[in-house]
Amino acid sequence: MKQFTSMEDKLGLDKFKAFEKTHLSIKPGADPMVVEHKLFICPAKVYELSDKGVPIVSYENCLECGTCRVAAPEEVEWAYPQGGYGVTFKFG
Amino acid sequence: MADEKFDAIVVGGGPAGLTAAYVMAKAGMQVIVVERGDYCGAKNVFGGIFFTNVLKEIMPDFLKDAPVERNVTKRRFALLTPDGEMGGDFKFDKFNKDFSNNSFTVLRSKFDKWMSDKVEAAGAMIITGVVVDDFLMKDGKIAGVKARMDDGDLYGDVIVLADGVNSLLAKKLNFHKELDPASTIIGVKEVIALSEERIRDRFGLTGNEGAAYEYFGYAAKGAIGSGFIYTNKDTISVGVGATIKSMLEHKLNPNDVLEAFKNHPTVAPLVRDGEQKEYSAHLIPDGGYKKLSKMSGDHVMVVGDAAGFVNATLFHEGTNLAMETGKLAGETAIEAFKKKDYSAVSLSLFDTKIKNSFPMKDLKQFKNTAETLEHSPKMFEKYPVLFGDLVSELFTVDGEPKWNKEKRLIGKLLTSENPFSLLKTMMDMRRVII
Repeated sequence: MKQFTSMEDKLGLDKFKAFEKTHLSIKPGADPMVVEHKLFICPAKVYELSDKGVPIVSYENCLECGTCRVAAPEEVEWAYPQGGYGVTFKFG
Repeated sequence: MADEKFDAIVVGGGPAGLTAAYVMAKAGMQVIVVERGDYCGAKNVFGGIFFTNVLKEIMPDFLKDAPVERNVTKRRFALLTPDGEMGGDFKFDKFNKDFSNNSFTVLRSKFDKWMSDKVEAAGAMIITGVVVDDFLMKDGKIAGVKARMDDGDLYGDVIVLADGVNSLLAKKLNFHKELDPASTIIGVKEVIALSEERIRDRFGLTGNEGAAYEYFGYAAKGAIGSGFIYTNKDTISVGVGATIKSMLEHKLNPNDVLEAFKNHPTVAPLVRDGEQKEYSAHLIPDGGYKKLSKMSGDHVMVVGDAAGFVNATLFHEGTNLAMETGKLAGETAIEAFKKKDYSAVSLSLFDTKIKNSFPMKDLKQFKNTAETLEHSPKMFEKYPVLFGDLVSELFTVDGEPKWNKEKRLIGKLLTSENPFSLLKTMMDMRRVII
């Protein structure tokens, strides 16, 4: 049985329905380095820095746990995604 | 829905909210549950055991059709070292016959959906796929909620906040502060398919018996956390959790911790060769008594995870605490409904009920758990290594006389660790976990 170890592969197991707009963002004026200093903790690696050091927020992979908002409350703007969108757990 | 007014609006269709709704609807109140998932259960994640003591009270015949996976008759607790384990378990056949320990593994997507069907059958209305963002105010008092949809103003006399661990709504009311990274656990879990026969053989089970294996010590790559395996019917739930603060300090990503746990020599043989079905993540409010939310105010009550009702000790209870607080909120709302008085004074009955409830008594008994764990990092890194060394050496048969060996190992223990510090940690741990 093939075993998935990378997060990218594991996220492929889940059912997502992305809304047209993000429900997550780095607050304007916040230090983008928060992505490297704290947001490595995201269990879905939603946050990454581009080559130019600009935060990329892959909200469509969000598992909606809330870890980022607790880890970096000053920097992360967090809301629930639109109802009926986001992740749907088949097992849970 | 602008013209409609409900007696009660429940935000969140998990065990706490659904129980509150069920109790109120049974008493003839007009109740609406607003759930953000496509169905109740779609967003809900936990480790694995649904404790059914409260469910049995409100639905005595739930076992007729409730989608339970396995009846947990066996529980194992082990301290992981970096390459091994020291543990013990119990298993009682009487639990298999009378289900008296009220412990079933379930998959929440199915189970919460089932529960929501019962709530609808009891007369409550459930709308799904709708997020509640705010309250509707009238004359400075809560008069309803603003749902994120067209014509989304919902009016109601009492609002039950059952919106889960992140409870943005209770925070809006300043009922509680932001979750504390030191006492909030990020848990990640995989559901892995295995045949029923394999599950029975690997975990030493018969028929529909289930097992819960919980791992402490070096279970989260040295972070303050633990790991688990729960057996479902033909899947197992495997996961780890650790405090956000500790994960940040150790520079860990939860998936990497989960991978390390699954590949641990103790855990690997139990989870191997399965087909991964789902990967999920969820926060657990582990702060307990000291971090509980304010419970009630004018026209509003807070229940379940939203209020912080999780027992973070060895007992790891949550779903039953959610249901009990939901039930008590429902009963309080019924009294308020009869009196037509939803003021803070009227709803403070909820606080009184909570004070005398088993969730509150349990959390109070273990009020120091989160802090003690936070201040005992050695239990998660240094001690597992030390204990593992001592036990493995003690049981290494190499011709060294036992008297010699025991004396030498005691010497080793005393030089590796201040005995008073060790003793204090062990006594603290005992007090806060069982």
